[in-house]
Amino acid sequence: MNNKDDKKVFNQNKMTISVQSKTVNEALVRSSVAAFCAELDPTVDQINEIKTALTEAVNNSIVHGYDGDIKGFVHIEATINGDTVHIRVQDQGKGIADVEAAIKPFYTTKPDQERSGMGFTVMEAFMDNLKVVSNDRGTVVEMSKRIKA
Amino acid sequence: MYICLFGELDEHTAPNARQTIDACILQGGFGNVVLDLSNLSFMDSTGIGVLLGRYKKIKKLGLTVCIASPSQQTDKLLKLSGIYQVMPKIS
Repeated sequence: MNNKDDKKVFNQNKMTISVQSKTVNEALVRSSVAAFCAELDPTVDQINEIKTALTEAVNNSIVHGYDGDIKGFVHIEATINGDTVHIRVQDQGKGIADVEAAIKPFYTTKPDQERSGMGFTVMEAFMDNLKVVSNDRGTVVEMSKRIKA
Repeated sequence: MYICLFGELDEHTAPNARQTIDACILQGGFGNVVLDLSNLSFMDSTGIGVLLGRYKKIKKLGLTVCIASPSQQTDKLLKLSGIYQVMPKIS
């Protein structure tokens, strides 16, 4: 194997974690993914941004997708490809009725609660790319961030 | 009154934070409020909802609320939310 192949192998890695739809698991997920990203040597700011965006996505699955039903599972996949971290968060919850509206700042389907409606706005601001696909069988959030040296 | 938040503020810890701060507010007998975030190691948008909820309760008492010493990540989140327009940041 030459040096080029060495680098290619080193720069690809993947982890998956599935957690029950319980808010206590949010800290576990963000800590696990943060540790996984460490091989790219991110700055403290970069890792905090990834942790925040990831928590928003997982929280959406738990609070909105499963609506507090703890029987559901949230599946998280993190992939390192070169200098970029790709994160995929998937649930099999009720889905988002209007993704376009949900992405707008301050949009919330639970106005009776103390919800800021900033979840997707935070994901967009803290990551480089964000894609949301949702139907009545669940939601998939994909986002990525390049870890610049 | 200084209210210091410690640890992580997310969906899991928010109920306890709300309950604890609201208990302080209910006691009354205090002046303007400073929310000290210097020991808050993590906060997501759930935290914004918690802070805004407390702001509304304190504002009803005719008092002001300021935010002190957020981390860089929390500061970025708070700027994004526009929360400093109602709860200014103090050094």
